[in-house]
Amino acid sequence: MDSYVLILLALATLLPALSAAICYVIRNSAVRNFVVVVNTLVLFYIAWEFTRLLIASNGSIRIDEHALPFNVGEIIKYLDVLLLVTIGYYGFKLKKPLIITLTVLQLVPVILFEFFMTVPEPATAFVIDYLALVLILLISIVGPIISVFAIGYMKEHEHHLHLEKTKQPRFFMVLVGFLGAMNALVMTNNLSWMYFFWEVTTLCSFLLIMHDENEISIKNAVRALWMNLSGGVAFIAAILMIYYAKGTLSVEEIVNTPITGGFVGLFPFAIGLLCFAGFTKSAQFPFQSWLLGAMVAPTPVSALLHSSTMVKAGVYLVVRLAPAYLGTELGKVIALAGAFTFAAASAIAISQSNAKRVLAYSTIANLGLIICCAGIGNHIALGAAILLIIFHGVSKGLLFLCVGTIEQGIGSRNIEDMQGVMKQMPYTTIIMVIGAQSMLLPPFGVMITKLLAIEAAVSLPVVLTLIVFGAAFTVVFWVKWIGLVLTMSYKPKLVMEKLAFSISSSLGLLLIGVLVVCMGIAPMYNMLISPQVKAFHVADKIMLLGGNDGGIWLQAWNGNIVGGFAVLSVFVILGILTLGMLFYLKRTTLDEVRTPYLCGENIDMDIRGLQFTGPGEKAANVVVHNYYFMGIFGEEKLTLFLNLGAMALILLMFGVVMR
Amino acid sequence: MINNILIAVIAVIAAPIIGGLLSGIDRRLTARFQNRFGPPIVQPFYDFFKLVGKENISVNQTQMAYVWAHLLFAIAALILLVLKQDLLVLIFVLAFSTISLIMGAMSVRSPYSKIGAQRELIQMLSYEPVLLLMVVGIYMLTKSFMIESVFSMDSPLLYKLPLVFFAFLYVLTIKLRKSPFDFATSHHGHQELIKGLTTEFSGPQLAIIELTHWYDLIILLGIITLFFANPLWVGILIALGAYFVELVVDNICARMTWQWMLKATWLAGIGSAGINIIGLYLKA
Amino acid sequence: MGIISKSRIKSPWVIHVNCTACNGCDIEVVAALTPVYDLERFGIVNVGNPKHADVMLVTGVINNRTARIIKNLYDQMPEPKAVVAIGACGGTGGIFAECYNVIGGVDKVVPVDAYVPGCPPRPEALIDGVVAALGKMEEKAQQMKQKIRDRKASHAREAKANA
Repeated sequence: MDSYVLILLALATLLPALSAAICYVIRNSAVRNFVVVVNTLVLFYIAWEFTRLLIASNGSIRIDEHALPFNVGEIIKYLDVLLLVTIGYYGFKLKKPLIITLTVLQLVPVILFEFFMTVPEPATAFVIDYLALVLILLISIVGPIISVFAIGYMKEHEHHLHLEKTKQPRFFMVLVGFLGAMNALVMTNNLSWMYFFWEVTTLCSFLLIMHDENEISIKNAVRALWMNLSGGVAFIAAILMIYYAKGTLSVEEIVNTPITGGFVGLFPFAIGLLCFAGFTKSAQFPFQSWLLGAMVAPTPVSALLHSSTMVKAGVYLVVRLAPAYLGTELGKVIALAGAFTFAAASAIAISQSNAKRVLAYSTIANLGLIICCAGIGNHIALGAAILLIIFHGVSKGLLFLCVGTIEQGIGSRNIEDMQGVMKQMPYTTIIMVIGAQSMLLPPFGVMITKLLAIEAAVSLPVVLTLIVFGAAFTVVFWVKWIGLVLTMSYKPKLVMEKLAFSISSSLGLLLIGVLVVCMGIAPMYNMLISPQVKAFHVADKIMLLGGNDGGIWLQAWNGNIVGGFAVLSVFVILGILTLGMLFYLKRTTLDEVRTPYLCGENIDMDIRGLQFTGPGEKAANVVVHNYYFMGIFGEEKLTLFLNLGAMALILLMFGVVMR
Repeated sequence: MINNILIAVIAVIAAPIIGGLLSGIDRRLTARFQNRFGPPIVQPFYDFFKLVGKENISVNQTQMAYVWAHLLFAIAALILLVLKQDLLVLIFVLAFSTISLIMGAMSVRSPYSKIGAQRELIQMLSYEPVLLLMVVGIYMLTKSFMIESVFSMDSPLLYKLPLVFFAFLYVLTIKLRKSPFDFATSHHGHQELIKGLTTEFSGPQLAIIELTHWYDLIILLGIITLFFANPLWVGILIALGAYFVELVVDNICARMTWQWMLKATWLAGIGSAGINIIGLYLKA
Repeated sequence: MGIISKSRIKSPWVIHVNCTACNGCDIEVVAALTPVYDLERFGIVNVGNPKHADVMLVTGVINNRTARIIKNLYDQMPEPKAVVAIGACGGTGGIFAECYNVIGGVDKVVPVDAYVPGCPPRPEALIDGVVAALGKMEEKAQQMKQKIRDRKASHAREAKANA
């Protein structure tokens, strides 16, 4: 049994590395595609097996350090130095002294700590609990689907750019290898190993953003690199402080340090530093500009790294540390910072018309909400945080893939150009609309987690106000987008567009994933999330709020949720809406269709209302755009003072831990 | 269980009738304010049946589905209200009702319809935070989001939440499409952007939108009665009083721009609700 | 009389279209909405949108441009609908009938149900005209139902032929 778990672990971390190496070395595209698909299927199997094993073992799979076949710690030490030297080399090559400085700031402590101090490794090397499993599922199911999508997408992408020599081997090497690093990151119990995998993801992100190797992508890749590196500096500093204060590097022991008597001295400051690292990785304000700049990368990169997985590493760390700062001032400030980001990013998203930027801001906002829930810290909030990790990861990945497909289909990523895309690309559009609605409506998960967050935050009025504002803002930009995309005039028959099989299958699979997690919210909560929240021992630490009895969940006697009336009814109505649309699509005849109202100046034959008779009896186009409220929510207007506010919050965070 | 179903069915049937009569009284009183006679009180029902009897035309194929969703969400919200369920969920379900209509209006390639939809979105943006803060204010007193907990309070909510009530009146003005906030589509006799949001809906579709407006009216007045739930008849009187105040405001004020509405609702609405909540928080 | 037939008469919604009028008739139409004559007590509401309207009040003569516009607006109105031509110009072209750009009265473009003569006609005459047009609503409703039945039958036949 133990060795089987060990094999699964090795596969989860090393198989992607092996696939990556094969993709790079063997330059044949058919072999590469085959390797990616095999990698996908094996990772699916691994995810399934981990789930089965975890539920069978009642919530904790542990792998001791001495059970590992070789001295992983030693290897990671040397790899760490190699990694930092590589990053420094890139800094040198691109002539960026900031990068070199930040690398040196990490290299010196690493060498001191790893080579000159004898640090005992934690006895348990890898721990997989429900939170880790949630992330593993996200990485090993959504991640490989995105890598399959990349097969079709990159082919078209390079065709579009008229590249003579393909760069796909390097692309797939980094994309697939990254999955292994993420798996290892969430499974490890050793803080310094987590640091290593953290910086691997930083390097992967840098390489992938830089993929197109033009001026703007290099500029944005460098910005992403130095912001993440500053998080890395905080991380290694925190490791040193924690070792000095607690004498252990085991994540389990660190987070279970009791609050009274344990949260003193350097320890709170170290936790604050770790949260700071999480903030930079998850592009919270004021570090959001790297994620926005990263949108120049090809879409699979945006979907995989910058919405579903890498940025989830940051919030994973913050949620993992939740038991350590529950109920403290630090927790409250973290909640405040998260809520601030949620409201701020949602506000700016209203003014954006570039589809990928809207998705980026929405990602930043949702990550802020997860962090806010982790900071609030009661059992409702923590459950909401984990739920949101799942729902957001799946839905946002799907949305990015759809936007990438549409961008290749119509040649633009501006929302305004997507008017009428329903008739050109119905398959992708319908999937995108379902994905966007999953961010907005119940019974889809993100809305439910927003409800839970509001209910959980009632004890912190400022946080609550920010969440309420953020929720109102998100409705505006999603509805604007969905409404525009669904614009259609009378069309007797919708023809599905031609897509590469890898693209259409990955979109379809992710759509099924979205529907499964949404419909399966009750069993998922009971099996995965409720036990995890109990494992956090939240109940011991703070007074539970009265909470809401009924409403969304009907509580059965043993605390399991059964499902609620309200959610069910909304689901039914949405089902009726969808069936109604299909019904009316078929049943409406041309006789019943009239032109839109254009003051009587419609052009006779034009039932779609695209033109009207202008001055001089000439035909003129009807042009209607969405409002973008540049005056109120414009990015340039708001970013400066929002960044200042966020910096103040970060300073406050360090302030409260220094007392 | 049977009791609940019975209550829900009676509510669903009775609400539009009462809503329609209130609408008719609205038109009659408005006419009297303007020194004329005005239509009979049952006029809204004549309008409704006339619209039902018109030819069913549309501009695109999917409009009707959105209109049905608009109605069904409103009915769901009403059922949630009379069965005393979660108030927060009710607010969100009402929001989806409006969102369906907005998406239906945006799905048509008509400038009036689309701009009306954008304005309706701005309206939602201005009143959603106020509504959510109202729910939070009620939570702080009753310690639960369920509506039935309001009925077991000893003193009426109005005494402790006067500013929240005032903020809700702003929301009422916007939702009832009364001046100065009626620029997405204004109600009878007035035109804004031709008919703004509802320009491209006609015949039976418009009839259903009217019906939903009556349901909305009853739901909003129902929420006002919650502020004075014991004895209920006082709450109903206050609701009717608030409705009358809305009529007066409608006849006095001119239509303003969306920037003005956003500022006014956020400053006055969120400001007063916020002050009330902070007051409660500090006292607790 | 069924409730729907009664409602058609009790709630006629009006769209007021000014073709090329001198505004004399239009002022009378608007005056009819004021408190002195108060059209709303009959349930008449001036909606500006042909898709919401039952009765189209047309003033002014028809020339080439307005012919196109009136036809377009008339097509956008759902059945059952009625048209009232107001004033001497609307009826026959009035004193402008022989102008080089004038095609004639409204009935040259759309079928008119009631003519309200006058230059301009008094508001009471307008109300009379609308009532006369409404008298035909029942017959128009029957025609509409017949048309819908025919349409369904022909679609069914087509579907059978294609199958």
